[in-house]
Amino acid sequence: MNRLIIIKYGELTTKKGNIKFFIKTLKKNIERELSDLDFTIEYDNGRMFIFSEDLETIENRLKYIFGIHEIIKGYEYDSIDIEDIKENLRKLVENIEIDTFKVCTKRSYKGYPMTSMEISKVLGGVVLKNVPSSKVDVHEPKLVIDVEVRLNKSYIYFESTPGLHGYPVGVQGKGMLMLSGGIDSPVAGFLAMKRGVRIEGIYFESPPHTSEAAKEKVKNLTKILSNYSGYVKLHVINFTEIQEAIYKNIPHEYLITIMRRMMYRITERIAHKNNAKIIVNGESIGQVASQTLTSMAAINEVVKIPVVRPVACLDKLEIIEISKKIGTYETSILPYEDCCTIFVPDHPVINPELNKCQEYESLIDFENLIKEAIRSEEVLTITKTEKKFEDLL
Amino acid sequence: MIYLDYSATTPVSKEVLDSYVKVTKEYIGNPNSLHSLGTKSHELLESATKQISEVLNIDEKEIIYTSGSTEANNLAILGYALRNMKKGKNIVVSRLEHPSIYVICDHLKTLGFTITYVENNAEGLIDFDDLRSKIKDDTILVSIVAVNSELGIRQPLKTLRQIIKKQNENTVLHSDMTQAIGKVNVNLHDVDLASLSSHKIYGPKGIGMLYKSEKINIDPIIHGEKDSLRSGTPCLPLVVAFSKAIRLAITNEAKNESVVKMLNDKLTSTIIKYPKIMINKTNYSIPHVFNLSLMTIRPETFIHALEKRDIYVGTNTACSKGGTSATIMAIYDDEKRANTSIRISLSHLTSFDDLNKFLYSFDIVYNKLLELGDENE
Repeated sequence: MNRLIIIKYGELTTKKGNIKFFIKTLKKNIERELSDLDFTIEYDNGRMFIFSEDLETIENRLKYIFGIHEIIKGYEYDSIDIEDIKENLRKLVENIEIDTFKVCTKRSYKGYPMTSMEISKVLGGVVLKNVPSSKVDVHEPKLVIDVEVRLNKSYIYFESTPGLHGYPVGVQGKGMLMLSGGIDSPVAGFLAMKRGVRIEGIYFESPPHTSEAAKEKVKNLTKILSNYSGYVKLHVINFTEIQEAIYKNIPHEYLITIMRRMMYRITERIAHKNNAKIIVNGESIGQVASQTLTSMAAINEVVKIPVVRPVACLDKLEIIEISKKIGTYETSILPYEDCCTIFVPDHPVINPELNKCQEYESLIDFENLIKEAIRSEEVLTITKTEKKFEDLL
Repeated sequence: MIYLDYSATTPVSKEVLDSYVKVTKEYIGNPNSLHSLGTKSHELLESATKQISEVLNIDEKEIIYTSGSTEANNLAILGYALRNMKKGKNIVVSRLEHPSIYVICDHLKTLGFTITYVENNAEGLIDFDDLRSKIKDDTILVSIVAVNSELGIRQPLKTLRQIIKKQNENTVLHSDMTQAIGKVNVNLHDVDLASLSSHKIYGPKGIGMLYKSEKINIDPIIHGEKDSLRSGTPCLPLVVAFSKAIRLAITNEAKNESVVKMLNDKLTSTIIKYPKIMINKTNYSIPHVFNLSLMTIRPETFIHALEKRDIYVGTNTACSKGGTSATIMAIYDDEKRANTSIRISLSHLTSFDDLNKFLYSFDIVYNKLLELGDENE
């Protein structure tokens, strides 16, 4: 007997034209996550089979990979004799609690002396006989026992855990995620990844107004996000000069609006440079002054690239719930100043006027400052396995 | 020199010491400082803690650094008792604990707590029935050593905790795991509180930790920072060295154990040939400790005679400096046996050559003292 894991793809299988590419991407993502382990993968259009000695570790890691509908533990046997299959199933079920169940048989070896229905019936009998609490329910069973008979091997599988769903990261190309260090942007990044977008992060730092610790916090958030995609590139932009110029020259109620417009401009250019097709950010309608619809419009106006706001229509509590689930919350709430929390005016404008934005911006040579900021770009590739201080620890 | 007292303390391994020195020289910032030197230190502190949490499979928040096991034992028992005294004032402990546990219990008695002792069977295992009968409604905490320091008896903590929880689901289990970590596979989730020490696992002296399950609350015993269970500037070099020592101890545990087991077999097969010597060992003793009673010779004399030959072994525990062994009394109920024990503790660093030299000297010293009739009382 060999143990194995069967992966069901879920939503992938509805994308007929792309399915090969999707599955190959998923396979590549899985192989990268398991690269330090010994395993083999086989797959077809409906499922993937992973054989290994270390299935527990593999199962745990698969829980972080998008594009997986279900992770199922299975058993592979060398015999296809019905008596052996019965005995094998008996051994598997005799010590577990089963309520309602059904046996579902696939028989790819068509020369087998019994039909799928007949096999299911016989094996259902084995369960009923050996698990007193079990009852057959073919419509809504709590447990489905899958049996598969091939030419010279038989399979039984039934313990399934849900996967992360979504599409394999990368199948939809790249998105540039504006990461502030708060609660919302990592969640936005997670949701974009869920739809197959490979995320790269962009972070604006303003030393000495923002600290090394704040940057470290964003790096840690990026690292948590990399749990779900193997690695995440982080672009760090020095924003100090722009921020100081805004503070000195622009009426304070427009500080945030203009600052966001600058960030958008820079993000668009970094996105183009890195082949990212969209900007992703954590804006949520109405949450703060710069996130009213009027503000969003006034800010969005400076870029042509599509801006996707995955959490735009979620309540704060819903966002927090997701951030707790994905593990970013504890880091997000660490109290460090970031670019958006320094130089905050007492009364930021809620309905900024576009012509005023343009008028104020014409007061300074922002183009040069933007170019300089982009030149300052520092690119970090952050992986979940990245070990800091390896020489010391 | 032949050192055979590894259960008392271990030499710091080179790679651990290298980290200690490097961090001392290069990471001078206080992890709590705002500037970048502080941030760098803070990052290192967090990475070191994270590594411990990963190796021990616990949450980072469940780690409280202390100065060693004794402080961890204090924080666990006193801290839990003080915080939870409204729920009850009874503490149950085994008869196989490190002496520090009993001193803490004596202190608790002065604060109005009652201490109950749970008995063990002839193999040194906690008597399940006795444990069941000793857990009362007002029992808030049970403390049972994971591996006893004198005879190396290992307790089935998971089962013990199940028994405890069945009797009183509010009772928590503390375990002093000082002698267990790195020698046997320990699961911290088998207990609610656990004390660990660095200097028993080839790390520096002066640091240890308390594992405190997130599910329970304790009071600090050292005050200085608000909402901190252990105030004081974290000693970064010690934490980093400790983290490395734990990683190495856990990673190499199985490999090291197989070496030690062979050494122990050799010791057993030789010492068993001395008719007057009693070997103090049960089926649950781990191979790292080899305890014997000389019966007719005073252990102090014997230890000093070996010392003259540059060989170092221990008495029952380093912390009680000889005297009657409570553990041996608890298991064999034989005063002579308990008064004449010595402890040879082994390590993967011990070579067979060392062991042979030790056995050679042992034979000479033993026969000589036997001849002199240095009778024990």
